[in-house]
Parts: sequence; structure tokens; C-alpha cells
Amino acid sequence: MPPALVVAGKDLRQRLRDRSAIVIGVVAPLVIAAVMSLAFKGAEQFHFSLGVVDADHGPVAAGMIRSLQSPGVRSVLDVRAEPSAAAASAAIRSRRIQAALVIPAGLSASVGGARPVSPTVLTSVNNALAGSVTESIVGSFVAQLNADRLSVATALAAGAPPGAAARLQAEAARLTIPEQLVDRPLGARPIRVISYYSPAMAIFFVLFLISYTSRSFFVDRSQGMVERMRAAPIRPLDILVGKALSVFVFGLVSLVVVAGLTTVLFGAYWGSPLAVGAVCVAMTISIVCLTGLVIALARTQRQAEGIAGALVFALALLGGNFVFVSASPDIMRTLSLFTPNGWAMRAFTDLSTGGGGLGTAALPVAAILGFSAVVAVIAGLLGRRAVTA
Amino acid sequence: MIQERAQAAVAVRAGAPPPPVLVCAGLTKSFGGRPAADGISLAVAAGEVYGLLGPNGAGKTTTIRMVCGLLEPDAGSVTIQGRPVGADRSVKALIGYVPQEIALYPDLTGRENLMFLGRLYRLHGPLLAQRVAAALDVTDLAERCDERVDSYSGGMKRRLNIAAGLVNQPALLVLDEPTVGVDPQSRHSILERVKAFAAAGMSVLYTTHYMEEAERVCDRVGIIDRGRLIAEGTRRELVSRLGERDRIDLVVSGDAGRLAAACREVPGVDEAAAADGRVHLVTADGRRVLPAVLEKAEAAGVPVGSVEIAEADLEAVFLHLTGTALRE
Repeated sequence: MPPALVVAGKDLRQRLRDRSAIVIGVVAPLVIAAVMSLAFKGAEQFHFSLGVVDADHGPVAAGMIRSLQSPGVRSVLDVRAEPSAAAASAAIRSRRIQAALVIPAGLSASVGGARPVSPTVLTSVNNALAGSVTESIVGSFVAQLNADRLSVATALAAGAPPGAAARLQAEAARLTIPEQLVDRPLGARPIRVISYYSPAMAIFFVLFLISYTSRSFFVDRSQGMVERMRAAPIRPLDILVGKALSVFVFGLVSLVVVAGLTTVLFGAYWGSPLAVGAVCVAMTISIVCLTGLVIALARTQRQAEGIAGALVFALALLGGNFVFVSASPDIMRTLSLFTPNGWAMRAFTDLSTGGGGLGTAALPVAAILGFSAVVAVIAGLLGRRAVTA
Repeated sequence: MIQERAQAAVAVRAGAPPPPVLVCAGLTKSFGGRPAADGISLAVAAGEVYGLLGPNGAGKTTTIRMVCGLLEPDAGSVTIQGRPVGADRSVKALIGYVPQEIALYPDLTGRENLMFLGRLYRLHGPLLAQRVAAALDVTDLAERCDERVDSYSGGMKRRLNIAAGLVNQPALLVLDEPTVGVDPQSRHSILERVKAFAAAGMSVLYTTHYMEEAERVCDRVGIIDRGRLIAEGTRRELVSRLGERDRIDLVVSGDAGRLAAACREVPGVDEAAAADGRVHLVTADGRRVLPAVLEKAEAAGVPVGSVEIAEADLEAVFLHLTGTALRE
């Protein structure tokens, strides 16, 4: 058996004998993914109650309320009538509703008049998103209203008799501005929290292999095991390759097992198995390279632990293992592209929403492998002394 | 091969010069400009135990790391059975290395540790199992070989550390201070085993800073100080080279003067004097002349109450050569 395989086999035997490795590699990702899924359950379906105060009671107000009850937005909000602006404010404070729309008296009449009347949206700092959604829908309706007013004014200016204003107004109301934005998700499935946090936690805990392996390398070295192995008729490279192999096998098995178990136990959907496998392989290769980098940079066990710990948490934070990358600020989304796990999370998100197979994973896999190659070169340049020191 | 080694061992004990297994020629190594080994040359024959004796930091470990191919010398060469250590990794299979640390995996069993190391020497199948069993047997660890190493006593770990150096049945066993930190019983056990390995034909390079160990197990001793091999030979050769002699002190109940006169006739006795019911003798080799001295006492009718031999030792040699005590 090649010496590298002997070293890898021994490392895996030790790792499997260590219960903490099983806990970190399999149990912890399952538990934390389940907990995170419960904690962020509301994030995957946004819905709120909107109070409406109709002081206008005219056709425009009725049209505005109808637009808020249209099938397109029914899944996002439900409309509740409120008697007054004061009552609506009280309802928001008591969190019975999350936002309110106040339609002032005279709104319908203002369409043909010279002085415009504006509706008001009452929002709460506790639910700014509800206010934004309401403003967006009402804003769209108001844009339509303004277009009606403009078309009536244009017709009158072009010589239409003033008595025809009411008829022109009705004609204009039948015309609608074409939709400006069509929301069509890339995938066939909506994103589910468990489908996001299953790979996120699997990757996060596999990242700990960097810490575990680099620490065990320095323990081996301080105990004389590396020197004892080097006294045998093998190359120093065999030792490193063996250790890298054990990291690769353990990391890959851990990811695959967590993928299988979260699918069976929690109904998570990771995506096309082939593409998921490709991302897992690429991600595990990057962990092998990062482990090599830590070993190359550190000189002692304590340094290795410190560097690996900082690296793991920095990668997890930047790569979106704790929070949805899509919900992060632009700078975080950009920074995530400098991390292998960020690319992996991007791939898993696309795959889990049904966005395709190997083609979808190709760019993230290439990016992860590119990152790994750069890290491997740096580790190789810095780490020649790691085994022979 | 074992038979050849045994024959070589017999040759060593018979005084014939067998071909050397290990030859170091002018080994030199510096760290940061400070020489750790400075032109060390030595040879170890088959079946011979060669001791490198010197204080901590003298250059013993640097020397054996170069012998084992773990450290590249700045100058000089190492050959094992005529094959240079260096580019050809297979030469390392002739060496069994026992580092000073307990270099074992505590979370593996004794057998698993040896199997792992054996596989690194390309052993497998029944041959590997046989070699592991032999190494466990010779170190008396067969009964507990399937227990995890972290459950072993300190002495057992030391023995397993040695067993790990035997798995490949090396021509040269290199032991780097193998008795550091062990109790007297385990030390005795280790030293007896080292002598047994040599008797079976294995060459042993043994480093220590314990003078008693060197005297007890080593056929020849090289005294190393500040990276230089400053003297080499058997204990007797080293002692006599410096003019040091043994002293025998006999407490007698009869005529001490008559016994002293009789002892002057014993070959090897250089001086003999009587005083206060005691006879003081000076000789080059106290143990060798003692039987003849006791015969003279019996023939002279002078009963001997007690005998004390004060041998010149390597401690004295080291002190003489370096001006410092061995344990400083």
C-alpha cells in the first residue's frame, strides 16, 4: 500500500475513534441546521396585515383597495378596514396590523381637478418592510392615477369639450400602464430555510477540519511522530499527501452524510445530486488546501489553533453560513465571492431552488477550484519546512 | 541474515574486526553558525553496541539525526552496510530509529502503532503480523498489545517505543537516550534488551548522558563534547589511555603486610601497601586480578573480611578530557 494511503488510513482510524469528530462532522450540522431553520422560518414567506382607512368612499379609493386585494399581492398582505387614522396608528402600535394606508377624502374628485390629493402610508420601525411593500403597491396605483389625470388634461388641451371630461376620465381609467417589472424566479422552487441552512451548517462544521487537522499535525510533530515517519523509507510528501487525503475523505463523507440525513429527516432539497457532489468535492478540496496553508503559516500548535479559528469564523461570516447572502449588504455579497464557501452557498442556493444541474454549478465549482489552486501554491511556497523542520 | 548477524556478534566478542555496519565520516552540521557536529567520524560493527556519551547539547542527537537521514549534513557522509544514506530512501529500511520522545499515537493500541509503522516500511500481510508479534514479544508487551497506548505505564510506553524501532528488523538500531525518565526497574529491563539485540547480531548506536549506562551496555564508547568526538574506545581503553587505574581495598584479620608482599607477585598488580589491618592495591584492571589476589590471601593464611574495588570510570575520563562533569 502506498505510504500516503497508510498515513491517511491511520488518520481516519484515529478520527473515527474520536467521538468529537463525529459530533462536529455530522451531529452538530444536523442539529444547528434544524435550529436555524426553526429560527428563520418566517423569512421564507413574508406576509403582513395592512389597515386601510377609506375617507374618500369614491371610485378611486375603491380601485386602490381592490388593487391591494388583487390575487398578485394576496399572498403578501391582507387588508383590514380601520375607521380612522388614529385607530390605524393604535392598531400598528399594538402590532395587530403592520402598516396602514390612509385614503383621504376627495381623492376621487381630485383626478379631474386641479389640486392633487395624496394618500398616506403609516409605517412602523418594527416592520419597515411592510411599509415599503405598501408604498410600492400604492405608488404603482398612484402612478396609474397620475397617468389618467395626464391623459384627461391632454385631451382637454387638445380641444375636447369640457363636458366630456367625465367620459374621458372613465375611458382613461380603463387603460392601464403596462407592468414595468415581471418577477420571475430563476428556479422552479421557492427557497426554503432548511434547504439553505443544511449546506450552510454542513460546510461550517466541515471547515473545522482545518483546525482539527492542523492541530493534530503539530501534536504529531511535537511528539516526534513526524520525525519517526520520516525515518522510514518514505518521502516527506507522502506524509502531507496522506494527511490531505484523510481530510478530503472525512470532509466529503461528512458533507454527503449531512446532505442525505437533512433530506430524509427534514425534507431539505439540495439540488441535483451530480451537481451537489461536484460542489462538495470542490469545497472539500479547498478545505484541504486551507489546512495546508495553516500548517505552512503556523510554527506551533497554539499558532495553528489561533490561525485556523480566525480563518474558520471569517470564512463562515463572509461566506453566508450564518445569514442569507441575499439579505446581506452589497459589500458582504461582494466579499463572499472571495471565499470558497461563499461560492458553494451560491451554488447550493441556485441548485436547491431548482435552477439546474452541473451547468449551474460549473461557475461556482471553477471559482472554488481556482481559489484552492491559489491557496495551494501559497501553502507550497511557505510550507516546505513544515515536515522537514 | 540473522545467522550472519549472530556470527558477526560472536566475532565482536572474540575480538575479530567484523565489517562495519555504520560508517560516519567527517559529519559536520551547524545551526546559525554554531557547530552542532564538527567532523564526527565513527564506525559501528555488526553486533556491537556503540555508545555516544556526552552531556545535553553535546551534539549526540544531531549526529544520530544525520545517521538516520533526518538531517542533511553540511559535510561528511553516512553509510549503512556500505550504502550511503541520503538520496536512496531504501537505505532507511536498514535503520531502526527510537527517538528520545515517546513517539507513539496514544489513541491507538500498541499493535496498531506497530502495524502502522511496519506498513511505512512496506511490510504487509503475514510478514507484517509476524514482525509486529516478534517486536511485541521481545519487549514483553504481547499481553497488552491490544490496549490503547494511553493506558500504558511510562515503562511500557518506553518499551513500545523501542519495539517500534524493531518492527523492520533493522541492521542498525539507533536509540536516542531511551531511558530518560524511566524508573530503575524499567531502565534495567531496557538495558538488558539492548544487550540481547546486540547478542543477536544487531548493531546498536546508543546515545546517553548516563555514564553508568554507557559502561554497562556499550562495547565501545565515543565521548562527544561541543559537537566533537574527543575520545573513542572501550571503557578500559579510555581509562588506561588517561593513566587512570583501579584501587582494591582489602580488610584483613591477619598479617596485612605479609599479604601485601604476596600480592606484589600477582601479575597486573602495580602497587601493594598495608596499613591499619588493610591492604591497598593499585592495578590496571581490578576485576581481572582480584581472583589471583584472593588466592594469595588464602595461600598466605590471611583471612579477608571484605573487598572494595574502586574502578576508574568514564566520569573521570570525561572530566579529564573536558574539564566539566558529565551531568553539567
